Amino acid sequence: MARYGMVMNVKTCLGCKACMAACSQWNQTPFWAEDGGKWRTRITELEDGEFPEVQRRFFPTICMHCENAGCQSVCPTGATYTNKDGIVLIDYDLCLGCGYCIEACPYDARYEYEKEDLEKDEFYFGEDARHHQVHIDKCTFCVDRLEEGQEPSCVATCVGHARIFGDLDDPNSEIAKLVNTGEAKPLGEYLATKPKVYYIK
Amino acid sequence: MDLVQQHLWGWFIAIYLFFGGLGGATMALGIVGELRFNKGKWFGIGTALLGLALLSFGLLWLVLDLIDPFRFLLAFWIKGIGSSWIARGMLIIMGAYIFGILYVAAAFFESKTFKKWMGYLAMFCGFGVTTYTGLLLNANVGIPFWHTPALPVLFTVSAFSTGCALLMWVLAGKNDHESEHFFHAVESFDIFLISLELLVLFAYFDFARGGNLAVVKSAHLLLSNPLFTIGFLIFGLIAPLILEAYASMKENSKGIAAFASALVLFGGFLLRYLIIWAGVFQYPHGLAG
Repeated sequence: MARYGMVMNVKTCLGCKACMAACSQWNQTPFWAEDGGKWRTRITELEDGEFPEVQRRFFPTICMHCENAGCQSVCPTGATYTNKDGIVLIDYDLCLGCGYCIEACPYDARYEYEKEDLEKDEFYFGEDARHHQVHIDKCTFCVDRLEEGQEPSCVATCVGHARIFGDLDDPNSEIAKLVNTGEAKPLGEYLATKPKVYYIK
Repeated sequence: MDLVQQHLWGWFIAIYLFFGGLGGATMALGIVGELRFNKGKWFGIGTALLGLALLSFGLLWLVLDLIDPFRFLLAFWIKGIGSSWIARGMLIIMGAYIFGILYVAAAFFESKTFKKWMGYLAMFCGFGVTTYTGLLLNANVGIPFWHTPALPVLFTVSAFSTGCALLMWVLAGKNDHESEHFFHAVESFDIFLISLELLVLFAYFDFARGGNLAVVKSAHLLLSNPLFTIGFLIFGLIAPLILEAYASMKENSKGIAAFASALVLFGGFLLRYLIIWAGVFQYPHGLAG
């Protein structure tokens, strides 16, 4: 039993979006959707500061896998659950598709996997298509890759070492050291959601 | 903070919230009319069935809002009942149907004690439906304008006001003594409810004034939208309040009260649609750019 989490180092994110490409290929997220696609992980381009101290930064986001997950508490059927390793997952067979979890998530981490997305998934991936029913979709920390001893696809592909994944309960892990020293902090602490994704800004 | 207006929920959910609240309130008020105002068994049966029909019509829109409406049966799998207001709402709605229909059957067969108990239980569930429509939005922590204790109160008061409006329509065509008496009781109750709704709204916006950025933005969106200020506040609240108050002091003024009722119903729907429309997410900075 672990307590998986991720640290995003905004200082070293290059904005190459290889994480988005890797995730969308592995998890077959609707990159084809209108208005820029639907993604489990995104890179938002920011301009921070005021002239002449202006900085262009790339801000990676993902499901925060909250310990006090609003999405899980509003789910009427129990489709959203937390597994033994602290990963917030969705049982697609139980997902009603009401969108209540999308409205309850304060991190914009969820989207609808609609009928037309299923058709496109089959069109692009053929027999390897992984989505067979409409549901709400989100990051799973690539739980299937973890079971095979691999890192999540976004972490494995990150060239700037901007994504550090590991067990928060293992004091010797790189992620635990970053979190325990206070160098990495969660987003929106005031929300009391207790995210397991932390940021170095 | 990154402020983003929500677009996932819209007309369909607003229609559901409106008809759900209206149906629950109509059933509850109708049963009061039959049990306490001696309106007769057919009035009780008619209003209970009308309430359930309105609730069913509302539920249809909720089902249509699902990604795949054919998955609606999963809604009966209420495993999330410990914390989810959709699951709890399903239980309340099922209670409204079960006790509502048992009340109708008891009223039809004139089983007095059983009818009374089923009537009270159906009333309780009808009341529950009106409040739950507010609690449903209230649970969304990411949208601070919804995440306030004032919203369920506002929706409950508004739902009962629309229920009164509908009952006034039903009663306007009847001239017997009991109907006249109940009409004026409902009219007075609606005047009280509209006044209360105005007070709750004032408290809501006064609270919003000192709220965080998302709350302020939601309030600003509403106050700068003529549909809210002119459509809802003036035509949906203040005008019917004045008209009903005027009608309550005049003889043979049911026509005016019925017209005011139409405005109340129009306002009730606008309120729900606009509150949903004005939902603004307050994301931590970086999520939306």
